[in-house]
Amino acid sequence: MRILASKLLCLLLIVAFQTKPAHAQSLDEFEKKVTEFTLDNGLHFIIIERHDAPVVSFYTQVNVGGIDEPVGNTGIAHIFEHLAFKGDHYVGTTNWEEEKKVIDQMDDVYKAWLYEKYKPNPDTAFMATKWAEFEALQEEAKQYVVNNEFSKIIDRNGGVGMNASTSWDKTDYFYSLPSNKVELWFSLESSRFMEPTYREFYVEKEVVREERRMRTESNPVGRLIEDFLAVAYSAHPYGRPIVGWNSDITATTIEDAHEFYETYYVPSNITFGIAGDVDPDQMKKFAEEYFGNFRGEGKVAPPVTTIEPEQRGERRVVLEGSAQPILVMGNHTVSGNHPDYEALDLLGRVLSSGRTSILYKKLVEEEQLALQVQNIAGIPGTRYSGLFITLGVPNQGVELDTLEQAIYAEFEAAKEGSITAEQLERVKTNLRANTIRGLANNTGLAMGFVNTHVERGDWRDVFNRLERYDAVTLEDLQRVAKKYLTKKSRTVARNEKVDS
Amino acid sequence: MTMKRTLLTVCMILISVSALAQKRYDEIKFPELNEFEKTKVEEFALDNGITFYLVEDKELPLIRVNVLVKTGSLLEPLEKTGLAGMTGQVMRNGGSENYPADELNLLLEDKAAFISTSIGMGSANASMNVLKEDFDDLVPVFVDLIRNPAFPQDKIDLAKTQLKTGISRRNDEQAQIANREFFKLIYGDNNPYTSQIEYATIDAITREDLVDFHEQAFTGNNMMIGVIGDFNTREMKRKLEAAFGNIEPGSETNLIYPEVDYNYPSTVNLVDKPDVNQSYIFAGHIGGLRENPDYAALQLMNEILSGGFSGRLMQTVRSDLGLAYAVFGSYSSNINYPGVFYVGVMTKSSTTAEAIDAMLSEVEKLQVEPVQQAELEEARERMLNSLIFRYDSKNKILNQRLNNEYNGLPDDYFDEYVEQLKTVSSADIQRVAKEYLQPDQVQILVVGNKAEIGDQLSKYGTVNEIDIEIPLPDTGEEKVAGDAAAGKEWLNKMADAIVEPGTEITSISVKTQTIQDSPMGSMTLGNDAVINYDEISMMANLTTPQGEIEMELKNGSGVMKMMGQEQQLPPMMTKPMFNEIKNSYLNIALKKDQFMAEYLGTEEVEGKEYGVLRVDGENTVTFLIDPDTGLPFLSRTNDLNPQTGAFATNETRYSNWQTNNGLTYAHSTVSFSDGNKVSETTTESVSIN
Repeated sequence: MRILASKLLCLLLIVAFQTKPAHAQSLDEFEKKVTEFTLDNGLHFIIIERHDAPVVSFYTQVNVGGIDEPVGNTGIAHIFEHLAFKGDHYVGTTNWEEEKKVIDQMDDVYKAWLYEKYKPNPDTAFMATKWAEFEALQEEAKQYVVNNEFSKIIDRNGGVGMNASTSWDKTDYFYSLPSNKVELWFSLESSRFMEPTYREFYVEKEVVREERRMRTESNPVGRLIEDFLAVAYSAHPYGRPIVGWNSDITATTIEDAHEFYETYYVPSNITFGIAGDVDPDQMKKFAEEYFGNFRGEGKVAPPVTTIEPEQRGERRVVLEGSAQPILVMGNHTVSGNHPDYEALDLLGRVLSSGRTSILYKKLVEEEQLALQVQNIAGIPGTRYSGLFITLGVPNQGVELDTLEQAIYAEFEAAKEGSITAEQLERVKTNLRANTIRGLANNTGLAMGFVNTHVERGDWRDVFNRLERYDAVTLEDLQRVAKKYLTKKSRTVARNEKVDS
Repeated sequence: MTMKRTLLTVCMILISVSALAQKRYDEIKFPELNEFEKTKVEEFALDNGITFYLVEDKELPLIRVNVLVKTGSLLEPLEKTGLAGMTGQVMRNGGSENYPADELNLLLEDKAAFISTSIGMGSANASMNVLKEDFDDLVPVFVDLIRNPAFPQDKIDLAKTQLKTGISRRNDEQAQIANREFFKLIYGDNNPYTSQIEYATIDAITREDLVDFHEQAFTGNNMMIGVIGDFNTREMKRKLEAAFGNIEPGSETNLIYPEVDYNYPSTVNLVDKPDVNQSYIFAGHIGGLRENPDYAALQLMNEILSGGFSGRLMQTVRSDLGLAYAVFGSYSSNINYPGVFYVGVMTKSSTTAEAIDAMLSEVEKLQVEPVQQAELEEARERMLNSLIFRYDSKNKILNQRLNNEYNGLPDDYFDEYVEQLKTVSSADIQRVAKEYLQPDQVQILVVGNKAEIGDQLSKYGTVNEIDIEIPLPDTGEEKVAGDAAAGKEWLNKMADAIVEPGTEITSISVKTQTIQDSPMGSMTLGNDAVINYDEISMMANLTTPQGEIEMELKNGSGVMKMMGQEQQLPPMMTKPMFNEIKNSYLNIALKKDQFMAEYLGTEEVEGKEYGVLRVDGENTVTFLIDPDTGLPFLSRTNDLNPQTGAFATNETRYSNWQTNNGLTYAHSTVSFSDGNKVSETTTESVSIN
């Protein structure tokens, strides 16, 4: 605890004095609290000791997301994430052998129904029979289900913050436990990923559909983002919705989900972070005991090989509706590993992060055109080439055109070199300080280190990248603004109120 | 050989050991939880009434200061709703006299420091988060902001613009509508628990109001301050005394929480939102107070009903039935005024009633069946075993302490609650469920797509449709008091000129051609319509460049049919069309006794003098009347442009009057918006039905 504190102290002092060589020094100190190991099968663990309180946070990251899904199965990464809470061959069932037989039959019947449905002249009587059979099997399967047992075990043992998320780039699973219960995590986490059951698969798809209705179909911003990405990307899967197209949710079967699991849930693709009041030696022992026989040693998950072709001209999308106007625009840029990424990230922050940022001062405070303006680099992801996006919410009485043009004017000014050294320095200072502020709790540490390990190959890049940010110059900002913020590479989506 | 065999045996043992070591969750023996020292909070007070609570936390070289102030929107007059929130916002946005906004922002961001201020319903906050070496420099800035905020007019105007933008957007998202309207159903209107900002309340707030509100609130006797971070307590006390010692003591604010009068009505309410396919549902009634001796039993009951994934609602409505992604509920108990009991869910339109029934039957089940001991123990363990997370950071401990002190709760109140949790029995759960829950006397609110929901809600009772239309801002037009007696005369004169006395008209058939100017060029629209002035309805057959469209406006709503497709029109579209009928000279002429009229003198247009008549009904219309004929030369209205949210003056000029069967009708009209011509209509024929 003391060591951790003094080392973080050093880090912050660096932040304050911007003495670059100290980065490395503080990193050395942090290394004393971090233990890293890879099991023979390829599973990687990062353990971060923090003994302030007898609690521990767990973070599992699988390097698979919406972009890795096969055509016709959008949403499958997210569906699998939901299913990971249904238990394993022991948890969540009264009799796995019997339950499995019913689940297998159910999937066969569903497929028969599904394939018939898509024939040019579907046999409706056959479909009705299959559907009745399917429903009967679903009922039959229910008798073996112990409802939500997985979550109940964690809750009962004092677990908090249990959840998971799926993005375009990755899927992650997390919760926290009192630190005397660490072995429980090893037991449950290893078996849920070693013994996937696809229990309640078809009921859960309906839950997912409700999630889609909530986040996208019934939400004006959700609808706008979905259409925006679908237009911004014509080839790369960054253009697809994570939750999946409605018909793809229907079409996805257990067989599809299992194939997805076999391909992507392999040791080389999974990283675990454990942060809190733990003993790293014991963690290693548990890891070997519980995860040592994880299947798929040596398997490598396939990368996304589609490259977004160069855009041929500005693309515009209009969503007509009754919601108030909103503007989202995006320019094609680069992946997180590209040398221009840091400059783009800083450009976004100089433009719109904080009360002294250019767009905030000009458009929110002075001209009062916008309630909110924000730029973010690396949307929807950073594994492959993402977008530099601008989100604009106009004030009442302000036309979207006016706001859009005002934003372009600031982009043009940035290309002409309007950004000052003080503005850039201020943004760097805040970036460094916020990096450290974000690592002041177990969950933040586990997530931050694991994500960086997966994205950059080493958790140390949490600190090392600050040097790359430091190296960004005003000329870099001007150069990337000129190179990427062009009309040709831009997509603009607007939510417009229909004229009465 | 032997060596090899030994090795093999060892390996085999190792393998079998490792296989055995992989335990199922119920085979694991957990060690005791590590002891840890509970953080001590150092307390001291100044003569001016400020109490400080200090915690040393050396993990990061940061210092955080959190000032809790006794004030809140409870104190603002309803006609100035928004005053408290705006005061909190402009305190920070406007800077202080010594540190004007721009300077302050640069100073803070150059040091990666944060200062924020906000005022909520029952408390205000001012907080600072800085690197420890900046503390000495920034604490005077922070205190200056708390004591001497400048409230510059330009930042007040900015706040007003932003708040009004917020008002204009408050009906975009279902969740926001549902939360707002449900709490209004429970607490009623016109009280601080549900009061909401409106254009008019924001307009009513002045700079003086902000200055006064701040001055009353931010005084020593109203302040409690928590300080946490990397400092030495003794040294810090000295610094705090120097920094905060000069704040005037003032007098302690008396926050009054009005009584809530609740009679458990059963109601069914719908907010129609045609652009969604999911219903956002709440059902519930009033909740209770924290001081209730049954608090622990009620909390455990909540845990059983809705404790996350382990709760019954999630198990049934989500996992079993697949009806929802989100389902939730709680019997909430507040410290100062009653909480609310509610269950809620988001489900597709077609399963609205099914989801309501599923939730309510879980509530009833708590009353009818005793909870099995195993389920009770599980719920209890969930609550007790996760308590460690209440104390897992020094900051949480400090905040809980501040919270207790602010609310006047004894420091051991939580420990007492934990002891009570340990003794709650299954019978207690059933008893409190029966005593405090009334599943047959709930208020149901559905925010969803009326057309898709159909008549699912009628089984719960008469459906009350809630109008969430945003009350318009003041048009900015001063209402000039005119001559009412002369107004009546002019109105009668106009009415008689349009409808010959003795002529009966309930509906007319009218055929028109309209040339509409738009940014895309002009477009010609043909309309063959029947307009009924008794019921304010219109059946229209439109000929447009896109084809034939049938439109029916009736009973306040509208449907459009095009190429066999029927589409419900949103109120935003139908409302202006209904208004056009209501504001028409013919409607006013036919119902002249139902309108108030005032004569405002004369106005000259293009060399001719007209009488100015303002007619007030549901809307306000101003006519310029030809004194010779009694016919209107033009009419004017102020309407909100739904696209921009701004007001526009709409003017229609009438000419080519023709009389037929007692009806005098303008066969040529030209419309202008803010002086720009938007359309021109020629009437081909008009007849009385």
